[in-house]
Amino acid sequence: MNEINNKSEAPLLRLEGLQKYFEIPGKGSLHAVDGISLDIMPHETLGLVGESGCGKSTVGNVLMNLLPATGGHAYFDGIDIVGAKGNNLTELRKKMQIIFQDPYSSLNPRKTIYSTLAAPFKVHHMAADKRDLDNKVKELARMVGLEEYVLKQYPHELDGGKRQMVGIARSFALNPSFIVCDEPVSSLDVSVQATIINLLIELQKQKGMTYLFISHDLSVVRHISNRVAVMYLGQIVELADTDEIFSNTMHPYSIALLSAVPRVEFKDRTERIVLKGDVPSPMNPEPGCRFAPRCWMSCAGKCKGADPKLEEITPGHYVACPYWKEAQEAGRELMKK
Amino acid sequence: MEQELLKITDLSVEYRVGGKVSKAVNHLNLTIHKGEALGLVGESGAGKTTTALATLGLLPEKVGYVTGGSVEFHGEPLLKKKDRELSKIRGKQIAMVFQNPLTSLNPLFTVGHQIAMVYQKHEKMSKKEAMEKADELLKMVGIASYRHGDYPHQFSGGMRQRVGIAAALACSPELLICDEPTTALDVTIQAQILELMKNLQSEYSTSLLMITHNLGIIAELCQNVAIMYAGHVVEYGSVEEVFSHPMHWYTKGLLNAIPKLTGPREKLESIPGMVANSQNLPEGCKFHPRCSHCTEQCKEAVPELVRINDNHYVACYHMEVGV
Repeated sequence: MNEINNKSEAPLLRLEGLQKYFEIPGKGSLHAVDGISLDIMPHETLGLVGESGCGKSTVGNVLMNLLPATGGHAYFDGIDIVGAKGNNLTELRKKMQIIFQDPYSSLNPRKTIYSTLAAPFKVHHMAADKRDLDNKVKELARMVGLEEYVLKQYPHELDGGKRQMVGIARSFALNPSFIVCDEPVSSLDVSVQATIINLLIELQKQKGMTYLFISHDLSVVRHISNRVAVMYLGQIVELADTDEIFSNTMHPYSIALLSAVPRVEFKDRTERIVLKGDVPSPMNPEPGCRFAPRCWMSCAGKCKGADPKLEEITPGHYVACPYWKEAQEAGRELMKK
Repeated sequence: MEQELLKITDLSVEYRVGGKVSKAVNHLNLTIHKGEALGLVGESGAGKTTTALATLGLLPEKVGYVTGGSVEFHGEPLLKKKDRELSKIRGKQIAMVFQNPLTSLNPLFTVGHQIAMVYQKHEKMSKKEAMEKADELLKMVGIASYRHGDYPHQFSGGMRQRVGIAAALACSPELLICDEPTTALDVTIQAQILELMKNLQSEYSTSLLMITHNLGIIAELCQNVAIMYAGHVVEYGSVEEVFSHPMHWYTKGLLNAIPKLTGPREKLESIPGMVANSQNLPEGCKFHPRCSHCTEQCKEAVPELVRINDNHYVACYHMEVGV
């Protein structure tokens, strides 16, 4: 949304070959996140898009240390999140927070909103006394636009939008510098969704924090992100500035994904590229391009054995497909009305 | 336009649970013509699904009650029909595709069997014939026929929904009611289902009632659209007309609230307040507590659906052209 100039700064978060495999007894290993390397710059919003099962939520959970990584590194301000313990972990938890997808299951039904919002201050000993805590909780509620009477209520008394506001307030409590937003609006109605998106953008403007915005909704991601990474089966296939990736899409998967979204606008309608079949299982994947079995380009045969790496094509635009030029041309042809 | 297929007049539906009354549908009027695809849009709780269930006589017993109005199919009233008579129409002339393909298929029967049942019931086919027909249908929706002996849990979400669509299409119904058929699915799988529906419409000229909250799907699939709020149609017309010149403030709000895939990224407009509570509906225009153009008149009387032109009807006292 807002222009940021942080190109020269050091990244806030650097992922190096981050990996999360789940060992399933008797079946093998599920490659949920398979070697992701990228930098997240301070004050930016990085959108992470992909279909269900592509591993985008796992990335968020690994970064929050809710799941232990099985390989690679993730440096936050110089501290490696992978394997962080004790004081290091406590410090990290203060600076990194997460907003969950489902505000119904992520709030404790037996606690009032007040005690949910007071918890972070108590855990990290951030409130001097009862009055200080009171003020801090009320200030937090005001910041996200919750009326004070809501503090006395329980989660079941609130609707989805208000609950998500509580989730946001909780994540902002300790003034973190990095927040993972894991599908924060996908369970909300359109009119409420707009309220929450506006709130997230507004808070970022005020506080200058960095977001990793995980979503399957391309138009929401386009709206809120400075840069966008597209994930497919545990790997990043394309990464670029938002305007660049939406206007100059290169990877065949991203091209198909973008063309698949039904649009409200009647101008510039295009035909869609329909991918065949479903996303294959991330269980024991075969080496080579993960997208090859579903690729709509005829080069699928060539890519089976190859393992395309993420390469910088133009400054800041990374693509993991050697045939992106052909894909762009073929895509344009296919999408002509 | 062509012949009227389904005509809903002044329909009202209530849910009565534990002494509380929810007015889910309030004086709803809708008409679907032969071969037409009509989109029914609204947020959760707007009464979209209730309208569909009432039409098919599927409201939950002793909870959902039709309190007024009529539904006519080919000029014949549906609401007064006995269940036995209705079951001859359901699945044969009017079929429904449900939102969640996992709960709407029977987990104890193979998918081939479930589709074949439709033929056995309505077309009085033998089991063998029915199974052969089921295989053809599966192939048409893009599922290899060797999978007819598999159970629903062995399929992915997208494939299950295709099975649901296949079962609904078995007797080539004149009207297909789709209740959020792609909401549970991924974008690329949704694209597959939408293409399938487009083909059905052009090849078999099946009429379609598409219930969804996704305006993009309506724009791609439907000719006409009805915008619902609190059990009431507030705007109706051709999709192009309504989406490019919305006149009701709720429609405008909805269109401005969705982020777009092209054009500049402007601040999203949010509609203040919450969706109207069906247990405690406001007097007058149901949208007035959230509307920025509300006057005394709006609080007192419910605005009628007014004709703007042949393709556009709006229920608002203070309508204005343009977004």
